[in-house]
Amino acid sequence: MIERSGEHEARPPRYTYARAILPARITSHPFFRLAAVWEAFRVATGSLRANLLRTALTLMGIIVGVTAVIAVVTIIKGLDQTVAQTFSSQGSTVFTISKNPQIIKSREEFIKFNRRKDVTHEDAETVARLCTACWRVGIAANAIETVKYQDQKAENVRIRGIEPLTMFDIDGVSIDAGRIWTESEGASGREICVIGPDMLKNLFGDAPADQALGKEVRIDGRPYLVIGVLEPLGSIFGFSRDNVIYIPYSTYQKAYGGRRSLVVFIQVPAAEQLEAAEDQVRTIMRSRRGLAMGEVEDEGFALETQDVFLNLYGSATSNIYIVTIGVAAISLVVGGIVVMNIMLVSVTERTKEIGIRKAIGARRKDILTQFLIEAVTVTALGGAIGVGTGFGLAYIISALIGFPLLVSVTSAVLGVGVSSVVGIISGLWPAWRAAKLDPIEALRAE
Amino acid sequence: MSDATLTLSPTETVINAPATEVGHDPSMLISMRDIWKTYQMGTEKVHALHGVSFDIPRGEYIAIIGPSGSGKSTLMNLIGCLDTPTQGQYWLNGKNVSEMDDDELARIRNQEVGFVFQTFNLLARATALHNVELPLIYGGVGSSQRHEMAQKALTAVDLTDRMMHKPNELSGGQRQRVAIARALVNNPSILLADEPTGALDSHTSMEIMDLFERLHSEGNTIIVVTHEHDIAERAHRVISIRDGQIEKDERIR
Repeated sequence: MIERSGEHEARPPRYTYARAILPARITSHPFFRLAAVWEAFRVATGSLRANLLRTALTLMGIIVGVTAVIAVVTIIKGLDQTVAQTFSSQGSTVFTISKNPQIIKSREEFIKFNRRKDVTHEDAETVARLCTACWRVGIAANAIETVKYQDQKAENVRIRGIEPLTMFDIDGVSIDAGRIWTESEGASGREICVIGPDMLKNLFGDAPADQALGKEVRIDGRPYLVIGVLEPLGSIFGFSRDNVIYIPYSTYQKAYGGRRSLVVFIQVPAAEQLEAAEDQVRTIMRSRRGLAMGEVEDEGFALETQDVFLNLYGSATSNIYIVTIGVAAISLVVGGIVVMNIMLVSVTERTKEIGIRKAIGARRKDILTQFLIEAVTVTALGGAIGVGTGFGLAYIISALIGFPLLVSVTSAVLGVGVSSVVGIISGLWPAWRAAKLDPIEALRAE
Repeated sequence: MSDATLTLSPTETVINAPATEVGHDPSMLISMRDIWKTYQMGTEKVHALHGVSFDIPRGEYIAIIGPSGSGKSTLMNLIGCLDTPTQGQYWLNGKNVSEMDDDELARIRNQEVGFVFQTFNLLARATALHNVELPLIYGGVGSSQRHEMAQKALTAVDLTDRMMHKPNELSGGQRQRVAIARALVNNPSILLADEPTGALDSHTSMEIMDLFERLHSEGNTIIVVTHEHDIAERAHRVISIRDGQIEKDERIR
C-alpha cells in the first residue's frame, strides 16, 4: 500500500480530470441533437456494411419499384419529345376534312360514318374558293401497293395521289434529288412519280438518289417514271414515314378511279388562325351537306388536326403510367415490409447495444431516431440505386429504339424521396420497440 | 431477474434501520430513504428491497457487498437511475430521482452517473475514442470539445496510444479502462461499478482497483458493487446487503 502510494506521488499528475478544471456542466438538451443524428447515421451505415448480403436483399424490393418508375418515366418522356417533334414537322397549322375520323371507337360509329357522303374534289374546290382564313388547300388520296423495280420488290408502299403541288409543302416534304412535277404534268394524268427515300433502299440497292431518276418502277403493274426523290423524314414508333410514293392526283384517279373519298388538307399561316379557319370550313361543309346552323345531328364529315394522334398517344401513355405506378406501389409496399422485418431483426440483435446506449444517457427519442435513420438510410440507398438502374435501363432502351434520353432531376429526387418515406413508415414500429426497451432488460441480453 | 426470485421469510425484521426520518440531508450526494422495490411474480409479490435507507457524502469510496440474490443488483440499478423504486425517496445530487420518467432518468444517467460493467459493455464496432465520446454525444457536446474531453479521459486511464483501437484489439484490462474513461468523461457525480473485476484475471483486477483508488484520491465518488470481499476491502466504507436489507454499514478506513 505504501509502496504504491509512493509510486503515485512520484509520477506527475496525469489525470487532469478533477472537477475544478472541467468545463461547465452541459445543460442544454435540445430535442434534435445533430451529433446524435450523425452518430445514428454512422451506426446505420456501419451496420449496413457489416451485413452486406442482408442489406442487398433488403434493398431489392425498393430497387425494383424505383427502377420501374424511373425507367418508364424516362422512356415516355423521351417518346413524348419524339412525338412532339414529329407532329410539329407537319405542324399544328394543318387540319383535314375527311369522311371518317382517323380513329373509330366503335362498330356503331363505323356504320354511321360509312353512311356519310364521300368528300369530293368539289368540296375541296368550294372550300378553297370560300374560305378566306385558309392559306393552302390540297387534296390527297392514299392506296397501299406493292412496288417493283426489275427483280426488286417493296411491300406496303403508301401511294399518295395529291393535288395541287402545294400538298408537298402541306405534307412538309422536300426534294432531295430530281424535281417535282409541273402543274401541267400534274393535270395531264401522266405516269410520273416522286419516291420516298425508302424506295432507294428497297428497290435500288441503296443507290444514291440521282441514280433512281429516270428509272421506271411498277406500281400495281403499271409503269411510272421516277422524276424526284424526297428527303428522309425518319420513322415514328417503328413506322417509316419514308415508305411512300407521290403521284399526281389525276394519275391516281386514272389508276384507282374517282369514286374514292378524299381527304382535304387545309393549312393556315399560323396556329392562331386555325380555329377561325376551322369555323369557316365547318360552315361551308355544313351548307354543302345541307345542314342548318346549330343542327346537332351528324355533320357528315370530320374536321381533325394532328391533335387526335397526340390525344391518342397521351391516353395510351397515361395508361402505361398508371400500370407502372401500380407495379411500383406494390413493390414499394413489399419492400417496406421487408425493411420492417429486417429492422425488427436488427433491433433484436442489437438489444444489448440499445441497453448500453440507454445506460449512458440515450433517451427514447435518441434510440428512435437511430433506428429510423437506419431504415431511411436503407430505403434511400435502395431508391438511389433504383434511380441509377432506371436511368441505365432507359438509356439502353432509348439507344435500341432510337429516341432521346431525357434525365429528369425531378423523378430522381422523387424516387429517393418516396423510398425515404417508405423507410420512415416501415421503420417506425421497429424503432419504437427499440426506444421503449427497458435498459436493465436490454443490458442483460446477449 | 435473479434478485426477484429470492424467497423471503415473512417473519424477517429490519436489522439495521437508522434513517427512518422522511427528510433528506442536502449535504449528502446520495440520500436514500426507506426504499422498497417490489416485483410482481405471477400472483406473488416479491420484495427485492425492503426499507433500505443510507446516505453517501461526496468523495466517498464505498463498496456494496452481498451474495447473489441479496438485492444488491436491484440497489445498484436504483442508484444508477436505471430503475425507480416502488416506494421511498432517492435524492441524487439534490434531485429527487425516485419519481422521474424515462427521459429524465436518461438525462440523469448521462450527467450524474458513470457506469462500469463487469463485461465492459463497449460498442464492438466503435473505436475506444468513439466509445468514450458516446455519453458526450447524447449530452449534446460539440465535436471538437467532445474529442478533447474523450482524449483527456483516455489519457487519464493510460490509454493514450490505444485510442483508435477497437475493443477486440484490446486486452480485458484495457477494455475495462476504456469503459472507465467512458464513465468519467461526462464528469459524473458518481462512478458506479458493477463487479468491475469479475471478468479479469487477478493481476489486471489489481491494476483496475489501483485505478479506482487513484480516481478516488482525485475527488471522485466511487461505488463498487461486488460479491468479492477482497475487492470490497479496497473501499473506505462497506455496506452489506442481505435479503433485501442493509445488514451492515461500516467504515473500514
